[in-house]
Amino acid sequence: MKRLVGILIPLTLLLSACAARLAPSYDKAIADGLVASSQQLMTHFAATSAGTTASSFAQRDATYSSLIGNLDALALQAKSRPSPKVSVSDKVNKYLAERGINLSDTGEVPSAAALEQISITLTKMRDVDKKQGVTAFEVAAFKGQVVIYLDQALTYENFLEREGL
Amino acid sequence: MGVPIDISGLVDQLRAAASDVAKKDISVLKGFSERQIKAIAQQAQLVAMGIASGQITEETQEFFLDSLKTMAQSFANTLQGLAKVTIEKVWNAMVGVLWGAIGTATGIDIPALA
Repeated sequence: MKRLVGILIPLTLLLSACAARLAPSYDKAIADGLVASSQQLMTHFAATSAGTTASSFAQRDATYSSLIGNLDALALQAKSRPSPKVSVSDKVNKYLAERGINLSDTGEVPSAAALEQISITLTKMRDVDKKQGVTAFEVAAFKGQVVIYLDQALTYENFLEREGL
Repeated sequence: MGVPIDISGLVDQLRAAASDVAKKDISVLKGFSERQIKAIAQQAQLVAMGIASGQITEETQEFFLDSLKTMAQSFANTLQGLAKVTIEKVWNAMVGVLWGAIGTATGIDIPALA
C-alpha cells in the first residue's frame, strides 16, 4: 500500500495541471444493458444445458440472433463513448514505465473488448449447434467462458461510476 | 490576507486522500482478480477434461484452447483499465485537497476542477 501511494502521489502532482479523465464516463444505459444481456445469456445456457441436436436448431436460431445482436450493439455503445485525451494516458504510462511498471496500453475499452469476445463465443456456439448440435459439456464450457467475460465487462462498467462525480 | 500553508499538515491530508481511495479500490481489484484467476483455472480444467473424454468435440477443441489465451489477455486488459480509474480518482481527490489549501492560503475561491 505504501509503495502504491508513493507512486500515486507524484503521479497525481504530475497530472494536476490537466483537467482530463483517464477512463470513459459511466453510462447507465450500458450498465443496464449488460445486466439484461447477462440474464438472457443465462436463460439460454439453462435451456441448452443438457446439450442440443442440429435437428432442433431452428427453435434456437432466433434466440442466438437476438443475443448476438444485443451484445454487438452494447459493444458498439461502450466503444463509442468519448475517449479521454491520449496525451494524459501517455503521461501516466511513461511515468509508470520509468518506475518499472510497463502497461501494454492498447487503448481498448475493456468492457467493449469483453463484449466482443462474448459475441464471438455465442457465434461459435450457434455455428456448431447448427452443424452438429452441442454436447452438454460444450455448453458448460461456452457458459464458463461467457461468465468470465461478463465479470470483466460488468466489473469495469460498474467501476466507472465514480463516487461523487 | 490568507493563512500560510502548513506543509506538514498538507502532506498528511494528501496522503490520507490518496490512501482512502486506494484502500477502497484495491479491495475491489483484489476481489476481481481472485474471481478471475479461479474461474480461468477452472475453465482450463474443464476444457482439458472435455478434450480427454471426447465430450469437447474436434469442432470446438481449438476454439476453447485459443480462448484460454484470449481470456487471460482480456483479464489483464480489464485490470489495467480498473487501475486507470483508480489513478484518476486519486488524482481528483488530491487536487481537491491542493485547491482547498491554496484557496485558504490566498483567500481566493478556486473553482473545483471539472
